[in-house]
Amino acid sequence: MYERLPNPVHSVVSTLKKSTMTAIGAVLALMILMASIFSPYFLDIYNLQSLIRDLAFIGMIGIGQSLLLIIGELDLSVGKIASLCGILSGIMMMHWGWNSYLSLLAALFLGLVLGSLNGLIISKLRLNAMVATIGMAGVYGGVNLVLTKGKAITGIPSEIHIFGKGNLGPLPIPFIFTLIVLVLVLFFVKKTKTGRYIYAIGNNRDAARVLGIKVDRIRILIYSIVGMISALAGILYVARLGSAQSAIGENWPMNSIAASVIGGVALTGGIGNPAGALIGAAIISVIQNMIILFGVNVYWQSAVSGFVVVIAISFSSLSVILQERKQRKIKLSK
Amino acid sequence: MKVLEACNITKVFPGVVALDSVDISFELGEIHCVIGENGAGKSTLIKCLTGVYEPEAGSIRIHGEDAMKNKKLFDKIAYVPQEIDLFEYMTVADNLFLPYERSGLKGLVNRLELEKRAIPLLERFHIHADPGTLVKEISVSEKQLLQIARATVHQEYEVLLLDEPTTSLTTKDAQVLFEVIEQIRQENKAIVFISHKLEEIFLIGDVLTVFRNGEKVAYSDIHEVDAPWVITQMTGRSLDQSQVFYSEKVADEVLLEVEHLTGEKFADVSFQLRSGEILGFSGLVGAGRSELMQAVFGYLPIYSGAVKLNGTPIKQGDTNYSVRNGLIYLPEERKSQGILPMLSVRENISVSNLDDLRSTVGISKNKEIDLAQQVIRDYDVKTSDMEKKIKFLSGGNQQKVIIGRSMGCSPKVLIFDEPTKGIDVGTKAEIYRMMKTLAEENGMGIILISSEMEEIRKCSNRIVVLYNGKKVGEFGSDAEKERILSAVIGIN
Repeated sequence: MYERLPNPVHSVVSTLKKSTMTAIGAVLALMILMASIFSPYFLDIYNLQSLIRDLAFIGMIGIGQSLLLIIGELDLSVGKIASLCGILSGIMMMHWGWNSYLSLLAALFLGLVLGSLNGLIISKLRLNAMVATIGMAGVYGGVNLVLTKGKAITGIPSEIHIFGKGNLGPLPIPFIFTLIVLVLVLFFVKKTKTGRYIYAIGNNRDAARVLGIKVDRIRILIYSIVGMISALAGILYVARLGSAQSAIGENWPMNSIAASVIGGVALTGGIGNPAGALIGAAIISVIQNMIILFGVNVYWQSAVSGFVVVIAISFSSLSVILQERKQRKIKLSK
Repeated sequence: MKVLEACNITKVFPGVVALDSVDISFELGEIHCVIGENGAGKSTLIKCLTGVYEPEAGSIRIHGEDAMKNKKLFDKIAYVPQEIDLFEYMTVADNLFLPYERSGLKGLVNRLELEKRAIPLLERFHIHADPGTLVKEISVSEKQLLQIARATVHQEYEVLLLDEPTTSLTTKDAQVLFEVIEQIRQENKAIVFISHKLEEIFLIGDVLTVFRNGEKVAYSDIHEVDAPWVITQMTGRSLDQSQVFYSEKVADEVLLEVEHLTGEKFADVSFQLRSGEILGFSGLVGAGRSELMQAVFGYLPIYSGAVKLNGTPIKQGDTNYSVRNGLIYLPEERKSQGILPMLSVRENISVSNLDDLRSTVGISKNKEIDLAQQVIRDYDVKTSDMEKKIKFLSGGNQQKVIIGRSMGCSPKVLIFDEPTKGIDVGTKAEIYRMMKTLAEENGMGIILISSEMEEIRKCSNRIVVLYNGKKVGEFGSDAEKERILSAVIGIN
């Protein structure tokens, strides 16, 4: 039966084992410790601020991406949505002379529309999410080029810059936005009906339908949310650079997926916590920062960071492999 | 000469003894028929004899040698599964010879030579398709024959295991198949023929083994017995029948009305379900019972006809509408349609009751825990912890969670699709009692799909029989088992 006396030691050990969050949190802490021992510059406030500003963007997109991974899908057009919405906010401000804040809101809304477009075609035409969003990334990137002819839109009004370059106390403003997104998303997945249903859908789509869950509607909703988060990241990045460029968000699709997976979100769907994606993003950013601080040759940086990310991802599957081996041994010894 | 001898085979699954010290042996040049109801242990036996499962106890000897020690001996057993598992997007010839190494083809594969080699084999099995066509383009019966042909390509086989090979064949195609089987027997191979269809068994069999509840209950020369004897052996009249679970409080009010419903796997089915009634649906596997009920529920498409719940037509294809209006389907395939495997017992329970768990700040975890505890207590779910992932629970306990969580949706009509599949005898009785209580005390209408004759007779107020997607009979709870069984296997 359910009721039984809890054993305090046992329960601490089992929560540690159970909680991927604790484990990856520990990995992050270890990496920060190593970085601060090996490089005197790591804990420098300017270094930390620039690191956190970087991680804010990967983290924000990663939090969104983790929602899609939980329902068993993904969006590879997040970077292109971000840059297109960034560019359009620039066009609205600079070419059309719109109020800056209104332009930002309009760009956010556009992100929502583009995301729901992704969701609509994927669910209604029954497309594979990966292939469809690669295609849509091409479309969004193409529209981007048509609009800008490849040139950056410069001279973004300075009242906007604070959203990208500013700090609130010691914390970079984009990171504050990331935390707000995280809190909202966590409330969504833990406390709302729809949020709970995304786990059901990711676990077993057929069972979700049998339970009467409106699977397609929820899928479209999640794509829309992810589109809007992408747009937010895009316009914050425009504010950071002071100019709107089509190169924004180049690495975001892959980095956001890597961050989620490092953070314990399963690519197969149904498992994971969006907060893990933020820790995953932090791990990636610390790796990239360390590579620079350690003075790795510029040409090697990408290879090294990619390799370390692969190692980080393999931690989760490694534990499964080890467990299987252990079980096999137990069975054979019988 | 005995080619395979299995002694004392016992296979246990969590909560169920699937095979209980079974002895069976096959002779070369003999057609050995194996018969039994669903869940009698036939499939488990096959999986043990082909080396897929490792039995907990017992020995399998092939030509006198222990096959448990030398797994290569299992190559002598050619197995043709019930479902067609060919590579649809490869050619007939490819399917015939895959894997190429086992068919004695080495190095590069020459398509033309492959097709040339296929021709005599295809002729032998009366497959008229060109060896170069894709399998997805040939007929179902040709696919079935091709599966058997494929099994015989591997020269070293001596036992041919056919698992219900005629379920997707017409009578004429079945005739072709029987001729081929006869030829193979002439080649001095042992043939094992598993079937539900008595006529076929009497037509081609030499000896007969009957299974029931994981036990071998009879073995005989087929020419010494008749159909009624086989049916008695299959159903086990001697089993305790005293306890019945049908509802004693059937009201007049009609809850569910299905009129001339036609879909992909069923045609023109009509029935009514009253409040407080348990309506049984019997039939062979593949008769279209699950498909019919999934269509009624809104999960599968309806081609024509109507479903009325409390007098109002349901929104077709909208499971959300059905659930909101109290029409709930509890699937047969618990793994693929029922549980959310990676989520905890608590989350599996709360997922269909989230409206009741609201508080001022969203879903309340405390209410959720209370609800989970209540379901675990009320439905006697055996789990060490409500945070345990549901996939680690036994089938019976998963089923209780699924039933328990549905009660929050205030159901009016519950469709139980094979609710006791893979569940041990004790838990079965608990589930029967639950159905009875729900019907009598809550006035629900209950539909029970079951392939077990005992179960359906014990629990149902009325029994509808489907055969090949059509309603072929309707019986009262007092109807003789033999009459129902005849309808189930398509004898009028």
